[in-house]
Amino acid sequence: MQDDIIRYEDVGISYGSKKVLSGFSLSIPKGWKILLKGKSGTGKSTLFKMLLGFEKPSEGSLYYRERPVDPSIAWEIRREVAYVSQDTDLGQGHVKELLEEIFSYRPNRTKMSREKLHRLMEEFELEEDTLDKNFEDLSGGEKQRVGILIALLLGRDIFLLDEATSALDAELKKKVADYFLQHSEWTLFIISHDREWERDGVRVVELSKNEENEKSRSWTNENSNAEPEKSMSRGMSKGRRI
Amino acid sequence: MTSPDISVLSMVQCFLLLAIPLTISYLIKLHIIRVTTDSVARMTVQLLMVGVFLTFVFDLNNGFLNLAWVLGMVTIATYTTIRNVELKMGRLLAPMLLSFAAANLSVLLYFNEFVLDLENLLEARYLIPIGGMILGNSLRGNVVGIGDFYEDIKRNENRYLYNLSLGASKYEALLPYIRKCLRSALRPTLANIATAGLVFLPGMMTGQILGGASPILAIKYQISIMIALYVSTAMSTTFSILSTIRTTFDEYGLVRKEIYREKKGKGKKESRHHCH
Repeated sequence: MQDDIIRYEDVGISYGSKKVLSGFSLSIPKGWKILLKGKSGTGKSTLFKMLLGFEKPSEGSLYYRERPVDPSIAWEIRREVAYVSQDTDLGQGHVKELLEEIFSYRPNRTKMSREKLHRLMEEFELEEDTLDKNFEDLSGGEKQRVGILIALLLGRDIFLLDEATSALDAELKKKVADYFLQHSEWTLFIISHDREWERDGVRVVELSKNEENEKSRSWTNENSNAEPEKSMSRGMSKGRRI
Repeated sequence: MTSPDISVLSMVQCFLLLAIPLTISYLIKLHIIRVTTDSVARMTVQLLMVGVFLTFVFDLNNGFLNLAWVLGMVTIATYTTIRNVELKMGRLLAPMLLSFAAANLSVLLYFNEFVLDLENLLEARYLIPIGGMILGNSLRGNVVGIGDFYEDIKRNENRYLYNLSLGASKYEALLPYIRKCLRSALRPTLANIATAGLVFLPGMMTGQILGGASPILAIKYQISIMIALYVSTAMSTTFSILSTIRTTFDEYGLVRKEIYREKKGKGKKESRHHCH
């Protein structure tokens, strides 16, 4: 049995009296690709934020490499996991300066490679002059690709992708998904409504709205290769150790 | 000293001038009669008390007492700064008091030692008024600096969190915010420096000329004090931000929400227009 990279055990969060998420369990071993689906407001992004230490679960526990997430683990996760936020307001100033700032952080100092940057820009159809543009002047799709680019340049192998392809056209969505999925050693935890992510080897986890089901659980399919969505059946097995 | 004395009668005549704004307010319903009388009354009482106390303090001219007076001013300046920025005292007061004291006292003592070349560094006649000018300017700089910093963090929290997610340390992720708010904190002081003498004769210079000093001596004082103001404002704002960061963020590097106070709508402008 392989150690899990990420594990949620009966995790729940509530804001005041409003329960957003409860009893969520999920294990992600190294190299797994998990696609998390569910209506908005079901707390999908919150699951990522908990892992990064931006939100604290009100119940349950959260593990990273088999250790419970506490402040020092959260800082470690931020150094080892690449996160693409749903929010594309990443910063201001020239894209080039934004990159320089990010790659001046201690864990990233040695990671910047001009060659890789240009290769990725070409791959994701970003014009050369994007670097000299103001980040805030970029289109939604361009901002999103810059976010993806940054995550890839960090050279990490665990990714949290929160609606990372939502503003891209179908062809680009596919390109991005292809790029991430071709790396079998990468651990991917994806939130997306895009069908481009649903393919062989990607396990789908459905998150149901809390109000619909008091004891909402996440159910994962046993057989991830066959039509992920339809094979989703409630009551089969709890999400951990699929 | 060539300043003429102002008799009680003259003071009354000065207060009579207030009839003009009060009449204007009455005629066009400005509704500032009450505020005006309140403010003027407050100023008069405050300054009267300061006048009496200072007479006493100057006469005694006891080093410890003078220093205690300045420390009292430091406390009031710090308290006023926090009051004016929609933040709660709790986690801010102690680090800001230390920052204000360290930055402003060191510039003040340096000024007395190396610029004025005083025999007694704690001479009341210099320590207290110059300390007051330095603190007043620091206060204004900090209201802008600390205020903007915490407002910006709140408004652009997503960017800050994103930077943390990329592996930035708290300081690395906060650096863009620190840069931005220091710039806005220092901008008014820099503008004052750049326009000194063109738009208005600065307060200290005016005082010296009224007191009978030559214009050349007056500008020498003015130049030195402006440099001291700039340096102390830069130092105190930097110290305040760096020291409060230690208490206002939790172990996950997130800003503690409980430091923010509900907006009351007033107060923010109050301290920005003291003159020096």
